[in-house]
Amino acid sequence: MELFFQQLINGLTIGTIYALIALGYTMVYGIIQLINFAHGEVFMVGAYIGLTVIMFLGFTAAANLPLALLYLALILLISMIVCGLLGILIDQIAYRPIRNSPRLVALISAIGVSFVLQNVVMLIYGPQDKGLPQIFPDIKFIFGEVTITLMQILIFAVSLVLMVLLHFLVQNTQIGRAMRATAQDHKMARLVGINVNGIISLTFFIGSSMAAVGGVLFGLYYHTINFHDGYLAGLKAFTAAVLGGIGNIPGAMVGGILIGLAEGFGAGYISSEWKNVFAFVILVVILLLKPTGLFGERISDRA
Amino acid sequence: MHVDPRKMSWLGILFVVFVAGCGQQEPVIKIGVSGPFTGDQANVGLTVLRGAKLAVNQANLNGEVLPGYKLELVPIDDQHNPTQAVSAAKKFISDPQILGVVGHLNSSCTKPASQIYYNGRLAQITPASTNPDISKQGYDTFFRICATDDLQGPKAAQFAFNELAARKVFIIDDKTTYGKGITDEFKKAFAAMGGQVLGHQGITQGDKDFTPLLTNVRTLSPDLIFYGGLYPEASLIIKQAKDLNIKAPVMGGDGIYDVTLINLSTPQAAEGTYATMIGTDIRSLPQAQEFVKAYESEFGDIGSYSAYSYDAANILIQAIKMAQIPDREKVISVLRGGGTFPGILGQTKFDENGDTENEIVSVFRVRDGKWEHVRTV
Repeated sequence: MELFFQQLINGLTIGTIYALIALGYTMVYGIIQLINFAHGEVFMVGAYIGLTVIMFLGFTAAANLPLALLYLALILLISMIVCGLLGILIDQIAYRPIRNSPRLVALISAIGVSFVLQNVVMLIYGPQDKGLPQIFPDIKFIFGEVTITLMQILIFAVSLVLMVLLHFLVQNTQIGRAMRATAQDHKMARLVGINVNGIISLTFFIGSSMAAVGGVLFGLYYHTINFHDGYLAGLKAFTAAVLGGIGNIPGAMVGGILIGLAEGFGAGYISSEWKNVFAFVILVVILLLKPTGLFGERISDRA
Repeated sequence: MHVDPRKMSWLGILFVVFVAGCGQQEPVIKIGVSGPFTGDQANVGLTVLRGAKLAVNQANLNGEVLPGYKLELVPIDDQHNPTQAVSAAKKFISDPQILGVVGHLNSSCTKPASQIYYNGRLAQITPASTNPDISKQGYDTFFRICATDDLQGPKAAQFAFNELAARKVFIIDDKTTYGKGITDEFKKAFAAMGGQVLGHQGITQGDKDFTPLLTNVRTLSPDLIFYGGLYPEASLIIKQAKDLNIKAPVMGGDGIYDVTLINLSTPQAAEGTYATMIGTDIRSLPQAQEFVKAYESEFGDIGSYSAYSYDAANILIQAIKMAQIPDREKVISVLRGGGTFPGILGQTKFDENGDTENEIVSVFRVRDGKWEHVRTV
């Protein structure tokens, strides 16, 4: 039983990070029906921005927890803003000029952006794995056989708060209503006075800043980042978004956590050699049974 | 001023012919060097490049290797990618001025490339690929100056059993030629001594999260975790094992012996990690002092393989000198001839498979955030 709980924690940790990235995929798809394949790279850039902030401000292992939390808040804030703006920039340069072209054109453009970002990061930071210094005191909570680290708790807490805020923003505010309207029909949204391009930019900003949070937490948790990291994490987060029903925000959150758990339990109970396979097996099975994904009814109506 | 564009283009053509003509007048002989100069293994790969560079620069300063010829080094990046390694090998064999190659670093690259060199009749000395199968293919163009895994694995097992008193180990490898090779040899030797192997599982290179596997490892409470693979994954395994409160130390082969491991896994977590390393602590060798000084003044820390690559390049240079003419077959037969080549690692002599007879393995341990030479085994 202890083994089960430990694997549950392992799976949830990486799952919440996948969920944060998946949000960006699903939000952008919801609003302009584009699979933004550069999104995994935004996540990776987020991790590197985190590293840069730590290096630039000279953070080292904080003496106490409140100070470390202050560091984290600062790192997250800067990384979110930079990546959010990067998201808007990507949209302006690579997607907006071809907004009315066939979808495949934008998809190829997205793949191009992804290569550019990878190579830019490689040129700036070098091809080697980069280590992030530990900024949190090494705190572990041990319950019998189950160990949970402070970093894991922080990953859950930060992700949960952000997801609740995002859900509130989309469902209960004027901006959220405008976003949902734009997602349903651009032309109608424009007719009722919504600044559609502004809303699209905002969507890119929010989605990218969520990925930035994922990137920073990923870097702080694993301590090593590489310019390749966006690829596999992005692919899995995309899988999570499709699993939850692409375009559906709660779906992306649930999908991410499911993918994380599938990996954790699959690798733990079956075989670690096949760890990367479980996520995709789950995807295939769910899509066979329910082609729109778990929560994807609305998409099928529109498409 | 009016310039007739047609005249200009004629001038251009003349210039090109002139430059090309100049190039042919100065005869060159070349040595190729290949390894992962970019990518996840760049840290280690660059030490291969720099070691060979230093050897070639020094050879040119000491006068002509062959009378009338200038010696050049041709680096090609293989990116730790077997496909790129094969294409690098094809480029090397198609350049008739290249008389030998130092490379590659990773066994998974060296093995497919070795066939290309064999077909192209070009001598290859690998400074670092430790997989034993490579020299068993019957290629007379293949040479290696490092010990092999079938030596590193058993020596590591001996050290773990006798010195660390480990009786139960869990084995992890990264499913590569190198990782599987070293762990299989370790397993055989450890079991033969009466040790218990609790399990053997593979992981995927480039993966970040090994907590599910390590959680299972914890329930088996091993005395030691033996890892066959490279430092990026090893550093994550070490860190995550400590986070999961696993007390057993991690031990690995030369693939994890890199300063970056300590930085990536944090010095606290890396403390007490063991690694075997082919050869010995280069700094402790009296004949290597000059090399260390020269290398460090030019490139900084000597890293893992610069000395091996330096020796490999120097052996090729000696062989070219002994061959007396720039001829690939001649170089191969000199290397095959059973002679001894002095270098900073000692006296290198190749056996019938092209493996060095100067096989030394050492154990290192992380202590106070640094790799420390424990002993030669």
